[in-house]
Amino acid sequence: MTMIGISGFHKTFNAGTINEVYALRGIDLDIAEGEFLTIIGTNGSGKSTLLNAIAGTFLPDRGTITIGGKDMAKKPDFQRAQVISRVFQNPFTGTAPQMTIAENLHLASLRGKPRYPIFSLSSDRLAGYREEVRMLEMQLEDRLDNTIGTLSGGQRQALTLLMAVMNEPKVLLLDEHTAALDPKSASQVVALTEKFISRYNLTAVMVTHSMQQALELGTRTILMNKGKVIEEITGKEKQFLTVNDLLDRFADLRKQEKLTSEMIEEMRREYL
Amino acid sequence: MELWVGALNLGFLYAFVAIGIYITFRIHDFPDITVDGTFTTGAAVTSVLVVSGTHPLLAVAASFIACSAAGSITALINTRLNVNSLLAGILVMTGLYSINLHIMGRSNIPLLEAPEFFTLLDRVNPGAPREPWIAICLTFIVAASWFAVSFFFKTDFGLSMRASGNNPVMARAAGINVDRVKILGVAFANGLVGISGSLVAQYQGFSDIGMGIGTVVTGLAAVIIGESILKKHSIYVWIGSAIAGSVIFRFMIAIALYAGMNPIDLKLLTAIFVLITLVITARIGKGAGKLKKKHLFAAAMAVVAIIGIFAGMKYGNFSGIIPQKKVRIGVFQVSDNPILSITRDAFLAEMKRLGYVEGENATFLVENANGDLATVNTIADKFLREKVDIVVPISTACTQVSVNKIKDRPVVFATVANPFIIGAGKSDTDHLPNVTGVYGAVPMDKTMEIVRKILPGHLRIGVIWDPSQANSEENVNNLKKALKNHPEVTFVGGNIAGSSEVHQVAASLVHKNINAFVLPTDNIVYSAFESVVKAARSKKVPIIYNDVDHPEGGALAVFGYTYETSGRQAANLADRILKGEDPASIPFERYKETVLGVNLKVAKELGLTIPRDLIDEATVIVDEKGNKKKRDGGPAEGKPAGPVKRLALFQFTDSVVLDVSARGVIDRLKQSGILEKENITIDQKLAHGDFSTAQSMAQDIVSKNYDYIVTISTVSLQVTVNNNKKIPHVFGTVTDPIKAGVAKSFTDHPPNMTGLATPQPVESTVRLMRRVFPNAKIIGMIWNPAEANSEICTLMTREAAKKYGFKLVEVQITGTQEIDEALRSVLGSSPDIFFTSGDTTVSSVIPSIAQKLRQKKIPYITNTPADIDSGAFMCLGADYYDVGLKTADLAIRVIRGEKPSGIPIVSYVPEQLTVNLFLAKEYGITISNDLIKKAVKVVK
Repeated sequence: MTMIGISGFHKTFNAGTINEVYALRGIDLDIAEGEFLTIIGTNGSGKSTLLNAIAGTFLPDRGTITIGGKDMAKKPDFQRAQVISRVFQNPFTGTAPQMTIAENLHLASLRGKPRYPIFSLSSDRLAGYREEVRMLEMQLEDRLDNTIGTLSGGQRQALTLLMAVMNEPKVLLLDEHTAALDPKSASQVVALTEKFISRYNLTAVMVTHSMQQALELGTRTILMNKGKVIEEITGKEKQFLTVNDLLDRFADLRKQEKLTSEMIEEMRREYL
Repeated sequence: MELWVGALNLGFLYAFVAIGIYITFRIHDFPDITVDGTFTTGAAVTSVLVVSGTHPLLAVAASFIACSAAGSITALINTRLNVNSLLAGILVMTGLYSINLHIMGRSNIPLLEAPEFFTLLDRVNPGAPREPWIAICLTFIVAASWFAVSFFFKTDFGLSMRASGNNPVMARAAGINVDRVKILGVAFANGLVGISGSLVAQYQGFSDIGMGIGTVVTGLAAVIIGESILKKHSIYVWIGSAIAGSVIFRFMIAIALYAGMNPIDLKLLTAIFVLITLVITARIGKGAGKLKKKHLFAAAMAVVAIIGIFAGMKYGNFSGIIPQKKVRIGVFQVSDNPILSITRDAFLAEMKRLGYVEGENATFLVENANGDLATVNTIADKFLREKVDIVVPISTACTQVSVNKIKDRPVVFATVANPFIIGAGKSDTDHLPNVTGVYGAVPMDKTMEIVRKILPGHLRIGVIWDPSQANSEENVNNLKKALKNHPEVTFVGGNIAGSSEVHQVAASLVHKNINAFVLPTDNIVYSAFESVVKAARSKKVPIIYNDVDHPEGGALAVFGYTYETSGRQAANLADRILKGEDPASIPFERYKETVLGVNLKVAKELGLTIPRDLIDEATVIVDEKGNKKKRDGGPAEGKPAGPVKRLALFQFTDSVVLDVSARGVIDRLKQSGILEKENITIDQKLAHGDFSTAQSMAQDIVSKNYDYIVTISTVSLQVTVNNNKKIPHVFGTVTDPIKAGVAKSFTDHPPNMTGLATPQPVESTVRLMRRVFPNAKIIGMIWNPAEANSEICTLMTREAAKKYGFKLVEVQITGTQEIDEALRSVLGSSPDIFFTSGDTTVSSVIPSIAQKLRQKKIPYITNTPADIDSGAFMCLGADYYDVGLKTADLAIRVIRGEKPSGIPIVSYVPEQLTVNLFLAKEYGITISNDLIKKAVKVVK
């Protein structure tokens, strides 16, 4: 069953000005429920724009996006948030630094529920959060009363991930969410990502800066260039593909004139 | 001691501001300037409600709600209309100024006798001294609020608020409607600020339109001081630190005052302190350099030397001091409309003629709501509080309020068009038992008959009126009724809402080809009658007007009542009631005299003929040369007088002193008979305390070629001298014409001007102090250096104090809100006497100061005799009624033909002593008998 359906999606920013950018040039994409899609592409290829399009940050010029069969584009962001969770590259984006770990988790757990002026961060709930945090294996379970501002980037991003999934959204969007982390934290967060996606059977879309990550994670990988999807790697093919295989395919694409050699060079620089 | 307890109390009272600012600035990251307005709104709502008898706690709640609403508007403008938060705050704050004035109805409401929150605390006081008891109670209240607010920010909703401000991206991602939460947060914060405003007003005993200025900066200072001291990450600590900051801030002010810092610089230095601390905090946030706690603390300590006074005054209750023996008569009018002023003056003059003499056997409380309906209510309340024996409302609005509010004493109304529609009665004889009076609608049927006599045939008449005024509406309805008998006349109406619209509406009616203007009495038309004349002139449209004051003003004919008769008739009714008659048995009276005026000059200009019988019927005729002739009896008796002369009596503002002085001028001019002899009419001009209005009034007087000018007050003198080089001009009620720059010396002055200088008798007062208090050493004084006159008086006091061996302790202020702190500071040096002279800022709150001084048994001495009724101990000042009489005497000399150049300026201080023996006894001070004999008023 289709969870995210994108058809004929066009978007131009700053139309009619000197800064005009034709960012998405007719995207057709069908992401099934439970699918985990990874996106790679050069700078300016439109991969983050596509993620924002799914998140509903802007309206299309042409085309539609449906989430679970519904057009969410015109709903305000806080309502879309009840269906779509996002984790950003910057670990500061996803948490409130002056509030404690417990308070942040509590807010995330209230997603989609009314927030009354009543005190509901009970000791029972606190114990529950402690167990959830323990799963992160970041030694945060005894620091629930510390403010987020005192944590490292990796710890924050792990918490952000937990907060994003703890209310089981329909769709999880990951925007290079390990790019700003040190390698050790990055691999921890990647492991958590896989764990949560499979545990909650989430439909996920991840933009990544690592070919390795793109190939290892997820069920399908797409390559974007100039606002279009130019290549798709699915199923078994993906399982056995190595980075070198991928580079070979880029060479093929160049022959088909879908990619220029400068772009391949840029991908090489950026992704390897 | 009291200085510190007072600082603690103020710190607690302003703690809600600090919490509110903490919520907007720190939790919502929303720099909200609205609080400068909402603080006043809180005070305004509370004082209006408390004065009207609402329970103080309900008033506090109402303030919270009103201010929350104001705050939510700022946040709505910001979130929904995408206006920058600072700008949104400035817009709402600016708008609130008008709204606050509307709520209050004037710029200052005293809460002297209304039971307020702190009276409630007093009632449960087991016997502790007042201020410490308040401190104890406030400790509990503030602590409870601290817990409640902190706990709120721990709840699910509170967490959403904090997240929205702390990281809006994250908050939206967590499904929070950030805009909505922000609106509620800012509303809540402003509600808290309103609570502070409400409590401060009740604590200091009055609300003032300017009391909110600087709220945002003081609140921010409190938050920053608190943060620099308490650094733990917990919402309880954060909210607590805002409260602590508020208290510390007040202590800093107290210390600054105690150390003798000049309070005038304090606001500037507060702003600088806040700026420095903000910059340092930002540096710490970025981790640039090791600016840590100690720097912040150093900055906080620096403020010890620099922070300003933002405190207020406390209230007093004087009902026990003023004895009431004489007949007390409360007279009030809704505005300065000349019709009403004529009624008032005629009433007062007739009362005097009937033997009611101010100060001897009667006290007249004469009030003016200056066009504001809320003030009408307040005045009525005041009359009740002051226990007047009879209330005389002049105008429909005042009468309406009086019949609603006053049930237990007689009411005699005057100058009311229709007393029946406002519930005063069903007929002339069947009316409310305590109400009677004089009324009469403008006779529109008779007016139409006059119109038809001059202008027969088909006719389109233009009518201009303000539909929001009940009287005007009534007049127009009567006109329409009258028109049923004149089918050939078509009614063309034009509505106005302000005097600026009159010309436009008149011009548009002229364009609609009307044949005549028929203008029923209307305040706005009255005030802008000249614009109608101008518009009508272009097409030679005649005007028939119901205001009879100025038949020479450009109308073809005037017809209506003279309102002097209204005032005179009302005085006679009041006299009958005071002599024991029951108002229930006195029927309402209609006006007895009408005036018909025709202007032959205008008729000639328009090429119209006024029928002979109408001219014969007229009581006033303006001939073809523009000379006005009055006819008293029948038409045949018209005796030609000399040409009409006009005297402008120009007053800057309607303060008590100036009003009394103007009354003196008018009374003497009338008594002297010169007005009739020389055929002079007096036009009273009042600039309502507005400098630019005064300026244009002076120009107006000059351009209209008045024959004489009499100015009352320094400002009206100055603007007149600037504009007038030829019209004879006599001034009075001026402290120092030489310092005012209008004359080089008493003999060297402009040739067309002379007058009266009346300095405050400062030296005599200080001499008197020495005489009554031979052992006194220290005189305390508070004054506002922005006031030129106050400065003159202070300089004189300094010299006199030196001469008579006193030490003078002065504290300067910039506004009423600083008086309480200033007074505490003065009291800190234990003065033996407290003195006020010529300072209008301090004078506006004399009752509160007197109350404070009374607790300390410090005699309060002023230079205004009337202050004795406000709780002063002894007053030595000029009798401004007398000054008015003397001014009129000079004017009379000029009218009789003396050249002003030959009359030197006269220094005239009719010293008048008033003494409060009640306080003398209370303080254990003996006042010699000869002094008591000298005093014109002795409060026993």
